[in-house]
Amino acid sequence: MESDDLNRSTAIDVTDITVAYREKPVLWDIDLQVPRGVLMAIVGPNGAGKTTLLKSILGLVPMAAGNVRIFGRPYAEVRRRVGYVPQRGSVDWDFPTTVLDLVMMGAYGALGWVRRPGRAERQAALDALERVGVRDLAGRQISQLSGGQQQRAFLARALIQDADLYFMDEPFQGVDATTERAIIDILKQFREQGKTVLVVHHDLQTVPEYFDWVILLNVRRIASGPVSEVFTEENLRLAFGGKVGFLSPHEAGSGEHHVLERKGAGD
Amino acid sequence: MDLLSFFSDYTLRTVALGAALLGAVSGSLGTFALLRRQALLGDAMSHAALPGIALAFLVTGSKAPLVILVGAGLAGWLGAWFVIKVTGLTRVKEDSALGLVLSVFFGVGLVLLTWIQRRPDASQAGLDSYLFGQAATLVQKDLVAMAVLGVPALLLMLLFWKELKLLSFDPEFAFSLGYPVRRLDLLLTTLLVVAIVIGLQTVGVVLMSAMLVAPAAAARQWTDRLGVMVLLAALFGAAGGMGGAVLSSSVRRLPTGPTIVLFISALVLVSLLFAPNRGLLWAWFRRLRSRRRLELRAVLEDLHALSLQHEDPYHSHRTAVLRAMSEGHGGADRSLAELESQGLARRVGADRWALTPAGAEEAARWFGGGEGRA
Amino acid sequence: MSVIRVSPLLLIFLLSFACGPSPERGDDAAGSPLNVVATTGMIGDLAVSVGGERVQVISLMGPGVDPHLYKASEGDVGRLTAADIIFFNGLHLEGRMAKVLERMSARVPTVAVAEAIGEGRLLADPEYRGSADPHVWFDVSMWAVAAGAVRDALAELDPEHAEHYRANASAYIERLDILHREVQRKAELIPEGQRVLVTAHDAFNYFGRAYGFEVRGLQGISTSAEAGTADVQDLATFIVQRKIPALFIESSVPVRTIEAVQAAVRARGFETAIGGELFSDAMGSPGTPSGTYTGMVTHNIDTIVSAFGYDPGAAFAGEAAPAAD
Repeated sequence: MESDDLNRSTAIDVTDITVAYREKPVLWDIDLQVPRGVLMAIVGPNGAGKTTLLKSILGLVPMAAGNVRIFGRPYAEVRRRVGYVPQRGSVDWDFPTTVLDLVMMGAYGALGWVRRPGRAERQAALDALERVGVRDLAGRQISQLSGGQQQRAFLARALIQDADLYFMDEPFQGVDATTERAIIDILKQFREQGKTVLVVHHDLQTVPEYFDWVILLNVRRIASGPVSEVFTEENLRLAFGGKVGFLSPHEAGSGEHHVLERKGAGD
Repeated sequence: MDLLSFFSDYTLRTVALGAALLGAVSGSLGTFALLRRQALLGDAMSHAALPGIALAFLVTGSKAPLVILVGAGLAGWLGAWFVIKVTGLTRVKEDSALGLVLSVFFGVGLVLLTWIQRRPDASQAGLDSYLFGQAATLVQKDLVAMAVLGVPALLLMLLFWKELKLLSFDPEFAFSLGYPVRRLDLLLTTLLVVAIVIGLQTVGVVLMSAMLVAPAAAARQWTDRLGVMVLLAALFGAAGGMGGAVLSSSVRRLPTGPTIVLFISALVLVSLLFAPNRGLLWAWFRRLRSRRRLELRAVLEDLHALSLQHEDPYHSHRTAVLRAMSEGHGGADRSLAELESQGLARRVGADRWALTPAGAEEAARWFGGGEGRA
Repeated sequence: MSVIRVSPLLLIFLLSFACGPSPERGDDAAGSPLNVVATTGMIGDLAVSVGGERVQVISLMGPGVDPHLYKASEGDVGRLTAADIIFFNGLHLEGRMAKVLERMSARVPTVAVAEAIGEGRLLADPEYRGSADPHVWFDVSMWAVAAGAVRDALAELDPEHAEHYRANASAYIERLDILHREVQRKAELIPEGQRVLVTAHDAFNYFGRAYGFEVRGLQGISTSAEAGTADVQDLATFIVQRKIPALFIESSVPVRTIEAVQAAVRARGFETAIGGELFSDAMGSPGTPSGTYTGMVTHNIDTIVSAFGYDPGAAFAGEAAPAAD
């Protein structure tokens, strides 16, 4: 049946999401369908509601209106199959815990209440750290990690969840080139495994290289779909309000648009 | 105060055990409050307990501690609830909400106490004593009550260890895993209220926040592992409790509650100064050492630069020159003496210095140029 | 609302505070009684006994109220302001009201009745050098001097009725003299070596000196200082050493403190009873026998004597019972 096909092939089906903060709309009437097995980027200027979209799907932020279906069901039912990698800045890295401990937190969901992580979880965590290339940091305090190492730890935590759908908030923000490579490798592995990944991304230059699908967001949905179809100069202009600037990574956080140079469409 | 008298004297034993129990419970639970940046919440909740104390007496007319403490607990809990609601529903930020709740509730409590003092039974109920506690008058049944409340609180903390750890570190991730974050928050708040209620008779409303925060702050200095931190906080709290009780039993007219808090504060001070790695003294020494090393390197570099300008790499140079080159970077003399003791430089005559072969080699390796001139 | 319209309203609003209920002072010409405000109930009782129908007395601190800790409320300040004359104890008994009383003294005659007693008769406070122990009402003969001070103050304020005050005062002072001797006789029922009085705070020093008791309290002269662990221990040791059969709780101090001492004593293998409740810094409820000064004094000595195992009535064996008040 058609709806079954839809369920089988759609990872995320979102309609009418509206989120307001004190009367001001942050997200307005967002519809989005994401098929399984794609790497999708969420892009838009600062304040466009990218993180909010992620959080509202996950239920972290209340919606004024909207409907969310993950694999055809409400989010609460399929929680086990969804993994979340928050922004690095959302935790206090001075918290007294080791990298291994942090990664093992990914297994808490499967453990349920009260049960402590055991040898199996420990091993899984070590394996995950191996995959992201920081196995030797297992015993280190998280306060001693560099930005890239922090991101890899977060990624390892996500790996351990073995989810079918991942939400990642700015994973490439402020990391070195090697880490960026490592992350994209993992994402590509995910795609090969048939997993779906939704990523809030700030660097327009790398969108075509890293992602298959993209949604351009500026409070409203400007456009969404395969990168080749949707990532056009016209759409970018619409999303970024006339300034077609290519934001460099470190300026994304400061909220400034710098019109550096215009690259040809499709580069 | 010898150990024998500790065990044989009823009063000291009771007060010390009560204070130790309080210290252990509040120290360990306070660790989570500290890590969640909610240290001030404990303060607000204990101050908020005051009107609860007054109302419990007014409404029931009973001066039984159990009744009073239930009132205190409910009011403290209400205070926390207010903070959450105000922060969630209005533009007021959390620290303002905490300050508001603390002062408003406490003010209402004081007004009530002033009003109550005219009633015949009020002085006998000793409501005023809940402001700073009256630790010296703890008796066996108070200890039992404290244990009945405190031990289950600790057990709950241990039971939900990983949940509390996750909640404190990354509540958003916890939510995404399906944990009911709000309910866990409630649990932690309730455990804190229990700790506060236990402490009211011992150190009182005003000083209770110290018992929650200080042991944890001290413990953080000594360890980077959560489990160890909670254990240390419990130990520091207990030690402070016992120490305060013992000290106030050796000196007349020394109020026990404040003495306990002073003891714990001393522990915090010592931890802030002397703890390895995070201690201030340690950090100071480390900085000093690295500065010395940099100065040393700088003078070696100067010698090297000078030697490159000469045919003879071991040509000596006047101390004054080296001093001038080090102008503003500390004593060249000290560094030269150190270089000499390391065999990298040598004195020539009274007033001149030159590189040694070892020194030339080291310098070449570090700064480049001049290799193979020796 | 424009500023123009608000200002007169604001002005009226502010002015209304200036016109409070204005007290009518010293309206003795018309024969209406004087408004007398006293701090403690004992002093209030004095004012009633000396002033008779010529005075209307309000005592700020009722039964069970601790004068060391009492803070004047807004209502109290109102009452003080409306008074024709204020009587307080002085010697820092009303520890938290010092500023208020000082302010009042500028507008209303304010008399410290305990300070009328000559310095030679006052006991020093062992902890605060230079200060005296304020609990003077425990020595009935000294309280008679305070009665005289009340009489003189009333006579000065209201000379028309000076005779009335003098007559009342001398009758009352005579009753006090009889009471004083009564207490002495009842105290003598307890053999001298056993006369040790242990209470919650050091209120009874004058009592001890006047009636031959050795006196020990857990807290010091003022209840505002917290009892420390050492204080509890020391008192418990003292009780065990001297084999004191009874401790006494006070109506205006938490029972907890005495119970803690009792528990400590028990742990040392001795049993001491709570001999009863004494009225120390406050009297009993009005309408009860201990709601008057004389009744309170009688209640105290009877309670103490009974607790030591003697019958207070035996002091008057063979005589007519003393006149009831």
